[in-house]
Amino acid sequence: MFESSATAREARIAAARAALTEVQARIGAEREGGERTPLPLAESLAELLPGGLRRGSVMSVAGSTSLVLALAGEASKEGSWVAIVGMPQVGIVAAARRGIDLGRLALVPHPGAQAATAAAACVDGMDLVVLGHGLALSDADRRRLGARARERGTVLLAAGPAGATAWPGSRVELVVESSHWSGLGAGDGRLRDRDMVVAVRERGRAVRRVTLRLDGERGVWRPGVRGTVLAEEVA
Amino acid sequence: MAARAVRAVGSGLTQAAPSTTRRAVLWVPDWPVVAALAQAGLTPDTPAAVLHGRGMIAVSAAARAAGVARGMRKRLAQSRCPQLVILPHDEGRDARAFEAVASAAEQVVAGVEITRPGLLMIPAEGAARFHGSEEALAEALVTAVAEHARCESAVGAADGLLAAIVAARQQVIVSPGASAEFLAPLPVDTLALAATERAQRQAVEELVSVLVRLGIFTLQEFTALPAADVVARFGAVGAWARRMALGEDVAPPVLRRQEDDITVEHAFEEPAERVEQLAFVAEQVAQELDAALLAAGMRCSRVRIVATTDRGDSLERVWRTDVGTRANAFAKHMADRVRWQLEGWLSGTAAGPERAPLTSLAVIAEDVIPLGSEQAYLWGGVSGADDRARRALERIQGLLGLEGVLSAREQGGRSPRDRVQLLAWGQEAQPARRIEHPWPGQIPDPAPATVLPVPAPLQVLDAGGSPVTVDRRLRVSAPPTWVRFEADPRDAVAQAAHRHPSSGHVGGDDGPVWDVPQPVEAWAGPWPVVERWWSEDSSRRAYMQIALRGGGGEARGGEAHGAEGHGGEAHGAEGRGGGRRDVDGRDVDGRGAVAILAAFTGGRWQLEAVYD
Repeated sequence: MFESSATAREARIAAARAALTEVQARIGAEREGGERTPLPLAESLAELLPGGLRRGSVMSVAGSTSLVLALAGEASKEGSWVAIVGMPQVGIVAAARRGIDLGRLALVPHPGAQAATAAAACVDGMDLVVLGHGLALSDADRRRLGARARERGTVLLAAGPAGATAWPGSRVELVVESSHWSGLGAGDGRLRDRDMVVAVRERGRAVRRVTLRLDGERGVWRPGVRGTVLAEEVA
Repeated sequence: MAARAVRAVGSGLTQAAPSTTRRAVLWVPDWPVVAALAQAGLTPDTPAAVLHGRGMIAVSAAARAAGVARGMRKRLAQSRCPQLVILPHDEGRDARAFEAVASAAEQVVAGVEITRPGLLMIPAEGAARFHGSEEALAEALVTAVAEHARCESAVGAADGLLAAIVAARQQVIVSPGASAEFLAPLPVDTLALAATERAQRQAVEELVSVLVRLGIFTLQEFTALPAADVVARFGAVGAWARRMALGEDVAPPVLRRQEDDITVEHAFEEPAERVEQLAFVAEQVAQELDAALLAAGMRCSRVRIVATTDRGDSLERVWRTDVGTRANAFAKHMADRVRWQLEGWLSGTAAGPERAPLTSLAVIAEDVIPLGSEQAYLWGGVSGADDRARRALERIQGLLGLEGVLSAREQGGRSPRDRVQLLAWGQEAQPARRIEHPWPGQIPDPAPATVLPVPAPLQVLDAGGSPVTVDRRLRVSAPPTWVRFEADPRDAVAQAAHRHPSSGHVGGDDGPVWDVPQPVEAWAGPWPVVERWWSEDSSRRAYMQIALRGGGGEARGGEAHGAEGHGGEAHGAEGRGGGRRDVDGRDVDGRGAVAILAAFTGGRWQLEAVYD
């Protein structure tokens, strides 16, 4: 009788394992518990963030508004809602050229003293929230926003000028280290292409430097030229 | 919608060409000018014309008799007829005024379709049977329009759209099955009459001009061409034109079903001046409208809020609503909007007529449709995420006020700032400047990622340190070599340098404080733009794209300007000259160049945008 109950138990465990394997085969075994599908990212930016735009993560981007817009572009094109908070100077035409759907874009240019509440409401409702540099947020506010984003599965992109301090607790930090425009001469030509070197500092990983080319002609990241990793170094 | 197209089914009339529908068309000649005259309060026999762009788009009968023709330039038209009244073009007015004609026709026929302002499509079959004959129907229509809308009209009937339009213009009734013969001898440019939109009309006009150059002058000659060849050569437009010329309909008419707008009005016993007074009324009115909509089993997709001041001005705004399905949400949603709008007017922040106490308030539900037949949102299906996002934005709007959340859309324009139209979230958009127009002098792509809402001062200097100027002939005085941004007010070093006698100015510390010069790597321009030279707010400027060299004096001014929006803050954290490190101890030197868009206007330089 003991033996029969033991075999029944083993059979149950085997059945459960089989079911688990089947589920893993169907949706992918790598996914950790509770993790959601990342937001889509343009193929040319894949080198920058091999894991994609992980939902619920906070990223700092320093030194390039174009890069911020490009990161948000593909997700917006695929149907995500984007809010830009505290950046009255963001170029809307550039945003549209990077793929952001203006029908699903909301701007909160001057939240003023209500920055924390407005940003929290955006985190609740939007899929991707871009936060400007000059927002009146305390460190506690930032931590709360990060926690809320993690809970809601919202991607927070903290944009800042070159040299700005990163958002505390950001998972990834993208810093534009150098960029070079081509197409201008001495009084002739016009801005065309732009190459930039971006340092990717990921928590617990080596710093990678990636070159990217921004194609001015079509205003999109040129699909053929993927970012290339220049060097890796231990942070 | 309950009313669908009345198709001719097995009625003998349409057996000859089963793919067509018998239609009557009511045409009001020169509609834009008729509508404009009525609005201007002039009699219909005034010689008048409507001007759009560079030519006349509609001419009244009296003006035509005096020799003015469509497409004529203003100067020529005035020379032909000196007393000609020239009226502005307004598509909205044309469409609005035409509602009166449509509802007059609806007293005779149950459902009509507005093809374009000036042209009504009427399903002829049932109506003709009801009135006895198509002639009787035509007579009844003309009489009703003359009585109720007070304008002359012409009615014709035929199979298919194009034949019916031509029949209306000639005031004839083409017997069933004879439409192809009726159309056959007509010139090919008749096809343009059946186009409803401007883009379509242009495509058809192009097609016609090619046909004429190919030696095809009549519709008969056109329809004699093999269908496959027409499609191969002209594509979709060719196929459409061929079907039209054969008297075959592209689609059965979509009927306009009359749903009256639902209006809730409130008259203030004594003129209201205080916001609190209004907030209460706003809520009450919104609830009444919600109840009225519910009672009628309807929902609306737009709400017009009209308030009248005691000076007799009326203040109007249209709101898009997508909240019909949410219980109780509508009343609150509308109450907020009414309140925001009135607050804006009373506080004098919103544009509009002069501030005055309000005497009455009306909330009108427009585009009323039965509950349950909701339209999809403009950008696709109704989804949970859209709803969630919209609720979040409404919450922020409640927090920050109406202009706290903006939606953006692209519009035509030359400078990066002009190319964006910002509207309060949820507000119905006014027509933007057209993107398709050529906009000569537009700054070429790529578009700058940072566009300063207000231009910041800038110094562009030549190698010797004197300001670069651009003269009337667009000569640049010297190649730009240095650029100075405005310094951060907190930057003590820059402040001290500004006060120091070596900075060149004597006494006082007025004028902008300049940061250290940044070396220029390359530049392009100047590109002149002269806008609205005829008006008060004319602008004359020359744009220049300047790439700054990275390295020692790194280009941080632009970024800081960008980050702060109004220029001149937050420079302080970063290094000055070589070898400084930022807060995290990273080396900030060797950072690359940014490019800026500078404008020279009124003798000084402005920073317009940053390509960062």
